[in-house]
Amino acid sequence: MFATSMYPVERMIVELVATILCLILVRFMIKPYKLTREGAFLGLPLGFAFLGISYALAAISYSPLNFPQELLWLPLLTRSFAFVFLATTYFFSNKKSKNGYLLGELTISLLVVVLAILLLVAFVAPEFAFNGYSNANVYLRFVNLACLSYVAFYALRSHVKNPDPSTIWIPFGFIFLAISQYSLFFWYIDSSFSAFIGSLITRFVGLAIFLFVAYRTFYGSNEKKGTK
Amino acid sequence: MKKIPRRDKLKIYGDLLSVLRSEGNERKKVVLTHVQVQINVPFDRLKNYITELKELGLIEGEISLELTEKGRQYLREYEKILEFMKRMGLTY
Repeated sequence: MFATSMYPVERMIVELVATILCLILVRFMIKPYKLTREGAFLGLPLGFAFLGISYALAAISYSPLNFPQELLWLPLLTRSFAFVFLATTYFFSNKKSKNGYLLGELTISLLVVVLAILLLVAFVAPEFAFNGYSNANVYLRFVNLACLSYVAFYALRSHVKNPDPSTIWIPFGFIFLAISQYSLFFWYIDSSFSAFIGSLITRFVGLAIFLFVAYRTFYGSNEKKGTK
Repeated sequence: MKKIPRRDKLKIYGDLLSVLRSEGNERKKVVLTHVQVQINVPFDRLKNYITELKELGLIEGEISLELTEKGRQYLREYEKILEFMKRMGLTY
């Protein structure tokens, strides 16, 4: 049995909840950009917005309505795009030179073009696309895992450079998202129920950590900074 | 010699407002050369930044500079952003 067709209702509900969590996260993460209008602050909200879109598309594809099977490609591609986008944001965050900015913008533009081409292929040549779905599913999980591991490592390195109890949470958030992708990978291979449940739990723990950190930063007390 | 990381205008604005607030909190008369040393920019550029911040309504005063209420609010939000980026593990 094709693993993606299992537990459709449960998956739809889970994807909907994950979409809502991502929307709340984007609302928090867009605040820096709204205040400053600096492009440097757009990476995180865009990354999580793409992640939310991927969860929303997944919810639609698992719904009982008869959508074409090619729709499964959309969440797969947008989710990988979101993780690649986040990894790119972290990679270029410390490139402060003009060339660094230019290179970052070029890379992100290139990623958008690649995503557009992949989506176009999925719709213009659906037979070709769907034949490769199972393989793509496995390969893209590896890509997701690699991107999330890189971001987790980057965030952990930042914490080690400037140890502070408030900066330890985010690496764990990304580690949980990475474990979620790892569990999903096993779920596709052997349809293990525990891997499926594990992937959902770790995904929600990861998203909850991001929410916790964002909420504490923007609505927590200011006693540490001593602002008047 | 210690290398100073490249700062964009936003960061310099933030540093300048922060220095003006701490000088104001200590009830000192703001001395521009003192501010210049603290935020580490050439004097002519510092004067340009001060003019720009006045135009934005974030600081006021001719003899002694101080933050407006809008400036204080902006600085509070700016510090939250820096804290958020730090917690996210991002360099800004």
